[in-house]
Amino acid sequence: MYMHIQFWGNEFKINVIVGCIGAFLIAVVSSMMGFGGGPFMVPLMAVVLGLPMYVVVGSSLLAIFFNTLMSTTRHYGFGNFDLDLFLVMFPAALLAGWIAPKIAKRVSPLVVKRVAVVGLSLLGLSLLGVF
Amino acid sequence: MSYKLHAVLAALAAGLLFANPMVLAQEATPGAAPVAAPPPPVVPVFTVDKTSLANGGVVTVTGQAAPGKPVYIEVFNENPVTGSFFDSRPNKETGKTPYKLYMASEIPAFYRIHVPRETQPILDDFKKEGRPWSYSSALSNTGGEVVYREPGKHPITAYQASLQAGIVGSRGEVLPTLDDKERVRRSMQIMKARFRTVDKLFAANVDVKEDGSFSAQIKIPEGSAPGKYFISAATSKKAVSETVVVENKISFPIRYMKNAGTSLNIFVPFLIVLALATFGVLMGAGGGFIINPIMLMMFPIPHNVVAGTVTPTVLFSQASGVVNYSKIKFISWKVGITLGIAMLAGGFIGPVLTTMITADQYKFVFGWILFILAALMFWQTTPGYMAKNKKEQAILKEFQKRAEEAAAAKAAKA
Repeated sequence: MYMHIQFWGNEFKINVIVGCIGAFLIAVVSSMMGFGGGPFMVPLMAVVLGLPMYVVVGSSLLAIFFNTLMSTTRHYGFGNFDLDLFLVMFPAALLAGWIAPKIAKRVSPLVVKRVAVVGLSLLGLSLLGVF
Repeated sequence: MSYKLHAVLAALAAGLLFANPMVLAQEATPGAAPVAAPPPPVVPVFTVDKTSLANGGVVTVTGQAAPGKPVYIEVFNENPVTGSFFDSRPNKETGKTPYKLYMASEIPAFYRIHVPRETQPILDDFKKEGRPWSYSSALSNTGGEVVYREPGKHPITAYQASLQAGIVGSRGEVLPTLDDKERVRRSMQIMKARFRTVDKLFAANVDVKEDGSFSAQIKIPEGSAPGKYFISAATSKKAVSETVVVENKISFPIRYMKNAGTSLNIFVPFLIVLALATFGVLMGAGGGFIINPIMLMMFPIPHNVVAGTVTPTVLFSQASGVVNYSKIKFISWKVGITLGIAMLAGGFIGPVLTTMITADQYKFVFGWILFILAALMFWQTTPGYMAKNKKEQAILKEFQKRAEEAAAAKAAKA
């Protein structure tokens, strides 16, 4: 089943079934673990569904917003939410959103990504109990 | 509240009795005086050296119990936290897997049983077992079960989980109320799931002398819950002392996180989240990926609270992103809403699973997710991707410029 999309004068065709199953699975895992899911939605839409980046950036954010909104409500209902901890983390996240774009101009995205590859692998190993 | 008064009275009485250990020792020495020593109390009595702590500390307990009997001390905090245990181990006799979820909302935020020093080797054996150690066996092998009272007192709700229930995002059918014996048994599994390590739930440091006098150091670690700590000693299930209350006080910038069940200096998580979220935005992956595991590693916060509290922090930045993109008409509502509905369904189910998995399973899954993410990031640093991405980014910028101009033109007209 295909869906046709008009976006800024271009038309695209995507496989809705594949897209929805992928989005559903990403949402289950990301809401279970408590993160946004953006880094997985972007490759799903760009690589699997074959949409160009300029369609993906805004639309993936909208899709993830649905997920975050629902999982926030559910976590709250299950008593997984801690108000004090939230009040500490939320301003920090806001401040980070303000600082990061200012630093971004001065650091090479390639270097950031390489550091991330090493950092994430180390963190992954430690979570798996390797060290 | 009358039992608190009793506890204070008992503490006072015990204090008068054993204010001078030397006198007691002389009296107890056989042959030193013609008068026979008074018969030792059947129920242990004890005093504490202080009744107030500031963000943790050590309380020394000294007391007297019937001679020749091991003494166990139960310590718990007044603040309630939630705990859960998902029973997915096949029954040894029937081979059937129960898939039952047990939830308690009133287990103490701090709980420890002090057992005689001689039982240390037993605890060491349990420590060697690693993650799957059994709390109930440790309690019965050390004898600590005689003071295991508080966690078993509170209600536990049992759910029968099933695939159908999971699909509609439910924990399952609520099972009939557990009987007393079953509730105590399940409370041990919940306590172990919440506190996880042998060292958190046990301390083998009660020194008992031949005459039945005993002492122990009760360490309330920094970052423990504030408020009242109830201490009682027992030599058997029937011979339980009066409860003595010690108050732990915390003050700004240390704050108690009610659901997390721990006190934190608020600047520590603030700075950590600031650093991690900044890095997360720079690498374009959002902060959750690194914040969650690091919070879990650094602080004694349960994984479901970490997941449930980090999620809403990104909600607002996502909302503002959606608003900004929609202003310049840079969202395909058709794609976004179609995939969004699928994600809505996923987001409904996911949080149910958070409570059903243990902290170790959470870490395991997270570990693999981070590897996948690392692989994605690595792929993004390969020359082929970089070249393609450069083109894509140029097109993206061009379209974004056009969109912004169109929005500006429209605004100028209006």
